[in-house]
Amino acid sequence: MKNKIKEWLKSGQIDIFLGYKTLQGHPLPHAFGKDNLEDIDTLITGSNYYPLEKIATKLVAEKPDIKIGMITQDHSQRALNVLYIWNQLDPENIKPLKGDGCSSNLKEHADDSHREAGKSGQFKKQFGMNTHASIEEAEIFAQQERFQRWMYEFQKCIKCYGCRNICPVCFCKQCSLEHSNLIGTGSLPPEAPIYHLVRAVHMAGRCIDCGLCEEACPADIPLRLLYRKVNAIVTELFDYETGSRLDQSPFSIIGESITLKLKPIAAA
Amino acid sequence: MECKFVPSVCSYCGTGCGVIFQVLDGKLVGTLPMKTHPVNEGKLCIKGWNLHEYVNSFLRLKYPLVKTFGRFIKVRWDEALQITADRFKEIIETHGPDSVGVLVSAKITNEENYLAQKFTRAVIGTNNVDHCARL
Repeated sequence: MKNKIKEWLKSGQIDIFLGYKTLQGHPLPHAFGKDNLEDIDTLITGSNYYPLEKIATKLVAEKPDIKIGMITQDHSQRALNVLYIWNQLDPENIKPLKGDGCSSNLKEHADDSHREAGKSGQFKKQFGMNTHASIEEAEIFAQQERFQRWMYEFQKCIKCYGCRNICPVCFCKQCSLEHSNLIGTGSLPPEAPIYHLVRAVHMAGRCIDCGLCEEACPADIPLRLLYRKVNAIVTELFDYETGSRLDQSPFSIIGESITLKLKPIAAA
Repeated sequence: MECKFVPSVCSYCGTGCGVIFQVLDGKLVGTLPMKTHPVNEGKLCIKGWNLHEYVNSFLRLKYPLVKTFGRFIKVRWDEALQITADRFKEIIETHGPDSVGVLVSAKITNEENYLAQKFTRAVIGTNNVDHCARL
């Protein structure tokens, strides 16, 4: 694997390789360059996952022609597919190198379990949503109770925007979550459930179920479950599995006829 | 293109969350939470997530300024400290040590907070010392 990367860098197939390296005792993302090929011997694989794809989009935004190699897991391949579809990355300029697997509902459980969320406590199970619940388990509760449980979760939000900031497929320059006309500003917790539902709706056809948002959430909101449900609806309605293929997302295709009734936008 | 990831500690408050700075060609462009850090375990608050913005802010003070005749004048650190000490001395001599108060915050470490109260009590000679977290 390391020889392969060295070869890629030497032959100029890639300008930079995004992988991981231990620095000050922490496995951190690291960009390996062609100036220091010995550096590649320190490459590590395994347990940690940072949004390398997001870092790649940032690099490409600065320098559009840069050729990037990167270590990928299953979910990062899906993330790359989504970014290709939405024209954020060019598949010609990205060279993925398969690393470890990951766990997700979109793919059978792979060889790691480190990214499974921590256990939900008794209180959370009684009044909130169990992080480990499947969509079916979450839907056992009657509608009103389910809503109350989700509201319990949403009201813990500290509005850190971490879910959006870490999301590998969030690339918009202007974010609806910061739009004062859509979501009221200046309150904490943010307007629930609209804040979380706006993000959930935007995750339809985008979320690749990598679990980074849930991992980054300081309030332990079971975001992954929420976005899984949203994408289950997308799969059911459009037969579209996000990130699994390079098909255009159903949300980027203009239909042939208008099925919703048009109405004027109310004056503010 | 030079792309670096630099491990660091969040400077916003005394908690000490681990962060990773993303540096592109010598410029700080992004902050990520450090997942293996024992303090924050891959989580950050909104301030931590935006660390790179204040580092690059044009409003940031990069050197000491002394207000003289209504205008801020750039001075060296030793000059700034000397001027501050002289003015404090003057105020304490004319109005007494209780005319000075010191307010500290979680933005400095526990040890620095200790030093600040020691300085207030032993050097200035007043008990007027408080912390912004004591609401």
